[in-house]
Amino acid sequence: MSSSTRERVMRHINTVGQLQPALHQPQHAPYPDAIDHALYRAYTRGAHDVGGEPDVPIRWEEKEEEQWELNTFATCECLAWRGVWNAEERRRRQNVDVGQTVYLGLPYYGRWLLTAALVMVDKQYVTLTELVNKIDEVKKRHEDKSLR
Amino acid sequence: MKTSHYDRAHHAKKATGVGDPQCFKGEAGLAKFKVGDRVRIKDLPDLFYSRCQVYTRGAVGVVIVVVYESPAPEDEAWDNTDKSEWFYCVKFRQKDLWPEYPDLYANDTVETEFSERWLEKA
Repeated sequence: MSSSTRERVMRHINTVGQLQPALHQPQHAPYPDAIDHALYRAYTRGAHDVGGEPDVPIRWEEKEEEQWELNTFATCECLAWRGVWNAEERRRRQNVDVGQTVYLGLPYYGRWLLTAALVMVDKQYVTLTELVNKIDEVKKRHEDKSLR
Repeated sequence: MKTSHYDRAHHAKKATGVGDPQCFKGEAGLAKFKVGDRVRIKDLPDLFYSRCQVYTRGAVGVVIVVVYESPAPEDEAWDNTDKSEWFYCVKFRQKDLWPEYPDLYANDTVETEFSERWLEKA
């Protein structure tokens, strides 16, 4: 029993290692008969469970947090103290709910920040209309100062 | 699901001055496993959220610490915190996890944590 479980697990790890975020590629929802058990499990697994996937070595770099990253961390801790989420719900949202493309594609604290905004909308502390209007207002305020 | 929807700050109130997971101490009952027990990791569905790494599923390891009591991540991730479980630190031989692990490093091990639902006696 256990050895067949191990074989299935190893095949699974190799399958998810081949899933990659799609960037500028047409991707159509397949017909149901194109998805077998192995593919179903690969697509529905949590994007953070990457241990053991085949990959290439990357260069190790020392990098200090940027100010916006520290601010993001403090904001997310305040949300916990005020009961908006606990640490496990935060991890679930920022590591899994974002999906594989965002999980692998955005910077670490970028996922924290996006997730903090979304939980405020999800739990009705702010409406998406209010959030979008505020983002628009701030963008316009900074337009003249920013060279981007 | 009893408290969270009525008092959003219930976890902060419970953990303040005590700490988490200390605030769940005494809630899980008797621990099913003890230090030295050989356990196999169950291959439960991966759906939506878990912190049970897939590479451990079906493998056999040894309990080295009975760590603490806490709601399981699968529940706590939706703020369901009224059922606690024992957590265990389990040690595996790397060779039992990775088929191609080199014989040269046969003594290498890895230790990681599981809530009780993931373990069965091996």
